[in-house]
Amino acid sequence: MFPTMNDVLLPSSSCLSPLPRRGEKQNASAIILAGGKSSRMGRPKALLPFDGEPLIVHLVRRLSPLFADIVVVAAPDQELPAVPATVVHDTVAYQGPVGGLYYGLQAARTERCFVTACDAPFLNLPLIAYLLEQITDCDVVVPFWQERLQPLHAVYRRWVVALLQEQLVRQELRPVALYTKVRTREVSPEEIRRFDPEGLSFRTMNTPEEYAAALALWRARRVVCTVELFGVARLKAKVASVPLTLPPGATLRDAFAALAEQIPDLVGSVVTADRQGLTAGYACNVNGTLFTCDPTTPLHSGDSVLILSNDAGG
Amino acid sequence: MYGFHRRLLWVELSSGTASWHELTEARLRAFLGGIGLGTSLLYDCAPPAVDPFAPANPLILASAPLVDTGVTTTAKFAVVTTSPLTGFIADSLSSSLFALALKRTGCDAVIITGAAATPVYLFLTEDRVELREAAHLWGKSAQETAAAIQQEWANAEVRVAAIGQAGENRVRFATLSNEGRHAGRGGIGAVMGAKNLKAVAVSGQRRVQVADPDGVEAFATVLRRKSLGPLTAKYREIGTVANVAVFNRLGVLPTHNFQQSTCEAAEALSGEHLLTTRFSRVHGCASCTIRCERLFRALTGEEQRLEYETLFALGPLCGIADPEVVVRAAHLCDRYGLDTISTGGTIAWAMECAEKGIWPAARTQGIRFGSAEALLSLIPAIATRTGLGALLAEGSRRAAAQLGDEAQRWAMHVKGMELPGYEPRSLKTLALGLAVSARGACHNRSGAYEVDFSGQVDRLRAEPGRGALVAAAEDFAAVLDSLIVCKFLRKCFDNFFEQAADLLGAVTGWSYSAEELRRVGERINTLKKLYNIRRGWQPHDDWLPPRLLSEPLPTGVAQGTRLTATELRGMIQGYYTARGWDAQGFVPEQKRQELGIGNEESLSGVANIWHTRVSVGG
Ligand code: SF4
Repeated sequence: MFPTMNDVLLPSSSCLSPLPRRGEKQNASAIILAGGKSSRMGRPKALLPFDGEPLIVHLVRRLSPLFADIVVVAAPDQELPAVPATVVHDTVAYQGPVGGLYYGLQAARTERCFVTACDAPFLNLPLIAYLLEQITDCDVVVPFWQERLQPLHAVYRRWVVALLQEQLVRQELRPVALYTKVRTREVSPEEIRRFDPEGLSFRTMNTPEEYAAALALWRARRVVCTVELFGVARLKAKVASVPLTLPPGATLRDAFAALAEQIPDLVGSVVTADRQGLTAGYACNVNGTLFTCDPTTPLHSGDSVLILSNDAGG
Repeated sequence: MYGFHRRLLWVELSSGTASWHELTEARLRAFLGGIGLGTSLLYDCAPPAVDPFAPANPLILASAPLVDTGVTTTAKFAVVTTSPLTGFIADSLSSSLFALALKRTGCDAVIITGAAATPVYLFLTEDRVELREAAHLWGKSAQETAAAIQQEWANAEVRVAAIGQAGENRVRFATLSNEGRHAGRGGIGAVMGAKNLKAVAVSGQRRVQVADPDGVEAFATVLRRKSLGPLTAKYREIGTVANVAVFNRLGVLPTHNFQQSTCEAAEALSGEHLLTTRFSRVHGCASCTIRCERLFRALTGEEQRLEYETLFALGPLCGIADPEVVVRAAHLCDRYGLDTISTGGTIAWAMECAEKGIWPAARTQGIRFGSAEALLSLIPAIATRTGLGALLAEGSRRAAAQLGDEAQRWAMHVKGMELPGYEPRSLKTLALGLAVSARGACHNRSGAYEVDFSGQVDRLRAEPGRGALVAAAEDFAAVLDSLIVCKFLRKCFDNFFEQAADLLGAVTGWSYSAEELRRVGERINTLKKLYNIRRGWQPHDDWLPPRLLSEPLPTGVAQGTRLTATELRGMIQGYYTARGWDAQGFVPEQKRQELGIGNEESLSGVANIWHTRVSVGG
């Protein structure tokens, strides 16, 4: 019999959404604002341990399957762990979110830029992908949640950087001031609920209590599931099943990425090189009933993800 | 002419004569080769009500345009006749060096009619047809027969397809075997036995030309490369035995004569496990880059090729959990020349009847699920028609008819052919494919299970729309089987009909559109149906065994899943509609005309094109 791997708590990875081209990264940038003061938290938020790694590392990793380009905006002297992203530092400290946005958009390499703060750990990639899709004929896409706009979970066209520069000169440090000057699309709570019923995407951590509560919620909402391997996948992996712990709201994409992380030998042969799907010879089934390779298929705790040959001939 | 020799050899065993005939371009264009050509010749040559064991039942070996062109997985030939198991058409494929040698004899097809007075074998080269005495080969296995014939000619290049004892004894599911492979289903070996024809031996050097060698090579290169990529990894790295564990997990592994669709011993019998414990070597057909065959070793030393269907039928279906027993049982089946699916299916039926007390004689002799002794003793008994084997050699349908109504409830067959290793209740498209298949319960002539596994449908739900999917799958399979290309290469085509039409054009010089090729598939399947109708097919023949329509699945992820008669009827209606047949499943005259088939006047068509007569020695 094949051994079963010990249950390992995996750092979370990625997921994705109703994308036009499933399984491909978006030609878009993610900007993470990491240079906030963290005064109420008492220690730098970007370095808070989260899911087994510093929060900024966690956020970059969660966003990386969706974005071709990631920019982290840090304070002038802020030290950060190594991350696979472009790190830029504010030249003028603490100009608020408009400052961070400005530096981030300046460094972005693509036209569409999603902006988030580094204290919002409950990223919902399907929602983010939806926001990106909405920018077609406007300049800003901003969610409206709990009676206010959410400028730090929004999508901006890169060109608005010029307007932000003017705002900085005028010391107009509230991002919403931008929205009257450009074509802005507000995303309604109903739209948001389709992806994120509780609005966890907008939940931030400003105090040690909020941090502890977020960690507890994260643990409670993790998706604990099993990948079962059959045929060539099993032979290559040398195990028949792999237990995985995935982030809240996980989809098949998270399972593929986490599996690749556990068993690197599968990358390229069974799991695609970008770790977001399966290669051509393999199929996937959830719980023995649903055949699907759609990476956006949601997973729930207790699910089994079967990886098998896509040819049932005998 | 490119791709074909355009020659047919007709051997008449009773009179000891042979004649060559021209194959018309119209026939070859309309039916290609392999299963298609064989079906068209059978339709035109077989007397309407011929008994499968009567001398007049033609046995047809058909080559195909892609054979010997260097395209991977195409070293195959078809055998077509009237099945002694079903009474309808039997069409089977086998492969490897025999297929290449057959084509190099300069014939696209061989029709064998009549029956020899004493055992003979047919020896065929480009310039020689002989019937040779075979009394000394009677009783030998196919492998021993091949070795003896090669020795007789002092030529290891002579390729031999032969029957074993099961064929000699007219076991209704006996195979024709060459190089360890079998034209397995439908009792072709028994038809040969009835003709006193032990073997066909071929040797030839006549290579056929292709119209566009560079074009064919370009296709061959792409397919070769793709055949070594991820799309065929299952076949290259494990073989079909990979199905056992995953089929069990998906609740589609028939167990205990279809009483369950999961098996506790599935992991022990899985290909993944066997590879780590009993693997002997990899093998493959000639001209194949995939090489899907896996040979395993019994503790007693026998080396045995195992396929999923063999593993399922001699393992879970009979309640056998020990791989050692399965390997030995498979070895016996190969040695005697028995179709492993029908052997396992018939024995599993016997086991159930014995356990239920319906067949007291079997019960007294210890026939029961899981009994290695029962399995290993019944196989030789069937092949030699001795003891309980005398009844079982008739197949589950005929055997059950002799035991009465209750026994018939548990006979898992369609049109008399035992079911393959895919549970129909949890694979509804496959269920329809099995019910309507012209050759009986066959998974290969439609491959409809692929629809269920694809995610494009809910495999647990029955819908009339499956009819169109099954018809399309059958037409696809018919073209594959007539070109001939191995099914395990099918995923390497991006757009099968487009690419196959271009490849066929490069081989034959004929221009085909994708649509025309699809039509070829429809024509072949419709002609098979017409053949069956001529043999007395009735709507009730397109149906499934009562168990599948009355019992829900008791175990596994599909537990509780049912298939009702109403659902099946709805799917069958959907299939007839998709095919353009009438509500009863008969083919309307208009459809015959549209496809240019089924004209009864063509019955004498082949006889009219005699060119040469040669005498053959005995
Ligand atoms: S894939 Fe297997 S069955 Fe097909 S031609 Fe190759 S060896 Fe033969």
